Amino acid sequence: MTLPAETRGRMTVTTIADSMGEALALAGSIDESAALHELISRARAGRLTLDLAAVTFINSLGVRDWIRMQAAAQKANLAVELRRVAEPLVHQLNMIIATRGNAQVSSFYAPYACDACGREESLLIDALANHERLLRLDPPAQTCPECGAQMAFNDFPERYFSFLSS
Amino acid sequence: MAAPSILIVHPDRKTQRTVQRILGVTGYKVDVADDVEQAVRLLAHLQPVLVVVDGAMQLPSLSELVDAGKARGAEACMTLLGQSSMSQVPAILGMGSVTNLLVHPMPVLAEELTITAQKLIKNDLFGAEKYLLWGTQLHETVLTRASQRSHIVAELAESVRACGQSARVASMAMLVTDELLSNAVHNAPVDAKGEHYRKDLPRDGELELDADHQVRLRWGCDARYLAIEVNDGFGSLDRATILDSLAKNDIRESGGGAGMGVALTYRSCDHLVFNLAPGTRTEIIALIDVRYPPTERIQASSYNVFVQRPTP
Repeated sequence: MTLPAETRGRMTVTTIADSMGEALALAGSIDESAALHELISRARAGRLTLDLAAVTFINSLGVRDWIRMQAAAQKANLAVELRRVAEPLVHQLNMIIATRGNAQVSSFYAPYACDACGREESLLIDALANHERLLRLDPPAQTCPECGAQMAFNDFPERYFSFLSS
Repeated sequence: MAAPSILIVHPDRKTQRTVQRILGVTGYKVDVADDVEQAVRLLAHLQPVLVVVDGAMQLPSLSELVDAGKARGAEACMTLLGQSSMSQVPAILGMGSVTNLLVHPMPVLAEELTITAQKLIKNDLFGAEKYLLWGTQLHETVLTRASQRSHIVAELAESVRACGQSARVASMAMLVTDELLSNAVHNAPVDAKGEHYRKDLPRDGELELDADHQVRLRWGCDARYLAIEVNDGFGSLDRATILDSLAKNDIRESGGGAGMGVALTYRSCDHLVFNLAPGTRTEIIALIDVRYPPTERIQASSYNVFVQRPTP
């Protein structure tokens, strides 16, 4: 089930419900006009789940707003789950420790490259199922959607997965 | 009086020789020291335009050497850092006095070392062309209204993707461009008293930018680097502010900006270059390494802060 999208600046917010439960799906750019902290009022049963697969951009003012949202969630004793976190947000979680708050990242996208055909792809990693190996900086193998060969993780593991160690 | 020279301070013989070969082409005499003690002794008899230092050197030796070089009139100290010494980056940033840091798998990358040295020696600082292969086309846009920023950022990302670059590169380019444009529009303008009169304005408000306030963006890609260059006509950014900003980790709670633009830009590119003509012009160039596979990338970024010397 998907409800109509609400527009906030260059970002849209949509309520989605699937096999993983209900979530607010954010899409587009998180910047000075996103007003993320207002999303707290959309929490259900003490839980705020954000689906972040379609976030394409976040700037420093978006980061400030994101930190405010995390602080407000902590103050309201909300459990925050970040689902399918897009790469631009993973970079911010790694660069600015305060962006992590108390949120649990259940899955996130990571850059992979295929040595056989040269394709680069952002692929989803289940952070919970792969928790131990990610802490060992050993990203799971992925299959190239184009040629079927094994793809290699295409960043520095100690940098890209640092947000998981907090 | 001693002839102007370049001093290399590095314990590794191979790096010494490599750097010596590269910098020898500048025409300057190149002197070599193995350690700080030897360098300080040499400095008593030298007038270096440039001191090149091993970034793996521990504090306070590194700091002592940077100060000694400056005292002898060195235009700049350049610090070299290899893959194995990445843990030194916070300490170097914390010193607040290292104006040029080049990180690279050692011994060193000739192009970047040569460009840095030539810019310092010739006092010819401006232009992203210096970092790109001959013939690389630079696209240019001038911001005449503040609200154009988001549109220009989105358009640049589309163009970067259209020229075959990855989503990672486009994403980094968006962040870098947005932060640099925002800084140039809102933080650069100063009045006669040095007040930054637009710094607290909301970033989503509209501003007409007259000729003095217009901001120029240029970008180009030579298949090694995507270069993004942003210029303003105020020249209000200074060396101390930059060195302080690079190491920042805290978001400003209030005000028009979040105070993290320079730090996020630095962490999102592979090399950040500041060209400063005080009171006249500030140019910031962010270089994003686009090579595939990324064999020569390193998980820290280089930076340079160049300040134009007044011409006699």
